[in-house]
Amino acid sequence: MSSRESILKNLKAARSPFVDVPPVENRREVVLQDDLRPEALRAHFIKEAEKLSCQVTICASAADAIEQLLALLGDDRLLLSWDLPHIPLPGLAEALEHAGIKIAAPADAAVRVGLTGIDVALASTGSFILFSGPGKPRAVSLLPDLHVAVMTAGQIVPNLETWSATERANQIEDFRQTSSVLIVSGPSRTADIAMQLVLGAHGPAAVHILMLP
Amino acid sequence: MTNKANEFASASRSAIQTPEMVAAVAFATNSAAAKRNIAFEVNGTEHGEALRQQAAEARRRALRKLPELLEQAEARMQANGIEVLWAKDGEEASQHVLNIARQHNIKHIAKSKSMVSEEIGLNAVLETAGFDVLETDLGEYIIQLAGETPSHIVAPVIHKSKAEIRDLFMERLGMAYTDDAAEMTRFARRHLREGFLKADMGISGGNFIIAETGTLCLVTNEGNGRMVTSLPPVHVALVGIEKVIETLDDYATLIQLLARSATGQVMSVYANLINGPRRTAEDGGPERVVVILVDNGRSKIYNSTYAEALACIRCGSCLNACPVYEAIGGHAYGWVYSGPIGAVITPLLTGLENATPLPHASSLCGKCKVVCPVDIDLPRMLLDLRHDLVAAGHAPLLWRMGLRGWAMVSRSPLLFGLVGWAAKWGSKVLPKHRTIPVGPLGGWSKSRDLPEFAPETFHQLWAKREKGNDHEQP
Amino acid sequence: MGLVQRPSPVGKKAALFVTCMVDVLYPHTGISVVRLLEHLGVSVHFPRGQTCCGQPGYNGGYHQEAAHVARQFLGVFHDAEAIVVPSGSCATMIRHEFPVLFADDPVRLPLVQHLASITWEFTEYLVNGLGVTDLGLKLSTPHTFAFHDSCHGLRMLGLGQEARSLLENVGNAQIVDLIDHDECCGFGGLFSVKMPEISSAMLLKKIEHINACPADTIVVGDVSCLTHMNGGLSRQKSAKRVQHIADVLAEGLPR
Repeated sequence: MSSRESILKNLKAARSPFVDVPPVENRREVVLQDDLRPEALRAHFIKEAEKLSCQVTICASAADAIEQLLALLGDDRLLLSWDLPHIPLPGLAEALEHAGIKIAAPADAAVRVGLTGIDVALASTGSFILFSGPGKPRAVSLLPDLHVAVMTAGQIVPNLETWSATERANQIEDFRQTSSVLIVSGPSRTADIAMQLVLGAHGPAAVHILMLP
Repeated sequence: MTNKANEFASASRSAIQTPEMVAAVAFATNSAAAKRNIAFEVNGTEHGEALRQQAAEARRRALRKLPELLEQAEARMQANGIEVLWAKDGEEASQHVLNIARQHNIKHIAKSKSMVSEEIGLNAVLETAGFDVLETDLGEYIIQLAGETPSHIVAPVIHKSKAEIRDLFMERLGMAYTDDAAEMTRFARRHLREGFLKADMGISGGNFIIAETGTLCLVTNEGNGRMVTSLPPVHVALVGIEKVIETLDDYATLIQLLARSATGQVMSVYANLINGPRRTAEDGGPERVVVILVDNGRSKIYNSTYAEALACIRCGSCLNACPVYEAIGGHAYGWVYSGPIGAVITPLLTGLENATPLPHASSLCGKCKVVCPVDIDLPRMLLDLRHDLVAAGHAPLLWRMGLRGWAMVSRSPLLFGLVGWAAKWGSKVLPKHRTIPVGPLGGWSKSRDLPEFAPETFHQLWAKREKGNDHEQP
Repeated sequence: MGLVQRPSPVGKKAALFVTCMVDVLYPHTGISVVRLLEHLGVSVHFPRGQTCCGQPGYNGGYHQEAAHVARQFLGVFHDAEAIVVPSGSCATMIRHEFPVLFADDPVRLPLVQHLASITWEFTEYLVNGLGVTDLGLKLSTPHTFAFHDSCHGLRMLGLGQEARSLLENVGNAQIVDLIDHDECCGFGGLFSVKMPEISSAMLLKKIEHINACPADTIVVGDVSCLTHMNGGLSRQKSAKRVQHIADVLAEGLPR
């Protein structure tokens, strides 16, 4: 008998535990939110993201966001980035070219700044979700010291529970087709040395969110 | 990993005599416990309790149909492109890993934290076979450098002071002197970054497997778990068979409670949902993802009255709440898992006879149950294990006889009165400090005065009162 | 947990289970309980032949021996109307553990469940059973107290506020906070005998907090914790002492 069969046989032979556990009824959301208006969600997201040590900059327009990005790049002339169509900044390609900034290969660990869009943002925890896929390499949000994430306020949903319900309503096929779905809540951190919080253990030490209307 | 749980008594004694270690552990557990409590109170006590019940039910619903869910999870993971292997025990799990490593001609392996891999002693197996293995969680890396074992489920290096870690980095890695934890972390980051970039295989654990979607779930604060599962071309995950949950909705509850319970965070920094190897046209991500479902004693627990122990999500909050753990740290428990959950699952996974002191390593104060995000009744299980110890003949003869004598006396009011009387007169000869240097109370009276017996028992006072005498005023 | 319903004890005779430790070590605590109950007009009786609830054996894993002792309890209290226990720990044994211990004894189980449902820890009996929080008591001189929550009363019976409410209503009594008042003192019954070093470490931490506390008297609901803490305090030559809630309250009875 294979190990698979023998393990399953042992489990199936057991008296099923917890026969009296009730079916799911009203599921509680972990964070209570009473105000779900878009502007409230936006304020909630910003407050939580800042608590997680993210920088959030509200940008009036794409041009404004590009300006912010260029400022963050400083003298850097190399950038890790998702393919530009995945970033909601029309005119970005031209601006980068104009500034003489080139996009490096995603595995280039020497580049300081990584630029991504986001797929969904969660107001209740200040998190954002990144789906991997063509043109959206995982390394961009992982290897650089600074992760710049561009999002629109319209991408904010109330919480993880709302997101999961939406995915399930959509038969979760998109979700399953995505090799890596990543929920990011602030910059990389550790407290392994004497409980002292240090940002940037392995991943980015800083996350800067550029939020468009 | 070798099991030294039977040496608990001597190990805990030496632990108590290491004040630096005890101070580091107490500081860390107290602050983690405080953060956990704040996180559960943020929307009120009632809400926090309801969430615990919701998480508890989610885990129990999954365990109720564990075999069916495992089959579902396997089928969906396979459909997603994840290979699934099964391992009865540690040896088979290690063999699977070795086989995969050899198939790909692997040289360098980067590992993120996995308690299952500690359980089965995977690093030693891989190193003996000639592979270069790098632990990449900062805490685990420090442990690996020091040649030690983790002393906490979540914070493996909780027992070490900053100075100890600094000295270790200076001695083993040539770090320049610093007292700054941030600088030490940056130093380790540079070292580990090289390791990530040259690794050709990544090994991780798994926090959950979602059956309905065939998803492997991992959390990490540092980001090493992302490196290990994204950069090398091969990713192998070792996951206990009990880790399967039903739905993405259950995940949404559990992942948030895991973070709150472990560190008081609202979410861990990176919660990764892995649905398979890189897709066509995707730039980056492993080409092969293998999940090894490890039994190693779990199906035996499933078929016992201790199945609830399998609900554990390894958040470590019972360790942080436990006054015994706070006093001795994790190593005294002698195996991979420490604290209340360790005292329960070490005997269950490795055999009661190999961990006889652990069920007694608790004052049964009940804090562990109260903070458990999935409401595991750890004190109840400790009581049951104590009973199993007695039933299996693991109780020392003297204790057995003593307890039998106690039962005989307490069954008979006459004997009870007599023995009380004898003890009263016997205690009058105690030295000034009211100690008994030998016998079972020797250790007790070393740091505590024994109580004095009253001149008359309550029985006697009541008898007088019934005879019409006035009862004594206190 | 074996408790289907809790019949009200109002107007019923109170059967005192004084507990083995109070019987031989602290009989005055038993007397305090009786005086307080009689002060409220409760008719108290003390069933003869009572010994111990069986908890020491039970917590050590000796179920057979514990059941042996528990049967004595069942015999003595079988016709009780309401049982009052000046100990959260022993009350927990009767209410939560007896039904486990006798789960496979269909003859005794109904009695066990009945007795579990009529057993009250002392402060719980007064506050939740009789609905009294103001006993009309007053201390002769002002005194400052702090509470230590005994583990079983707190986490198995959900008690803590009851004793505080009772003392808050006593004239001249002031209550202050003890740091980590809900943390175990390290007693744990046989735990402190089997693992005295770990237990001592826990006790020393508790004593540190007690010494730092502005109250001279620490109030508890269990004489087991009291024995442990006082044993440590007297060894450490601390002037502070731990007292049972019943003794503290009885000080305020009219002379």
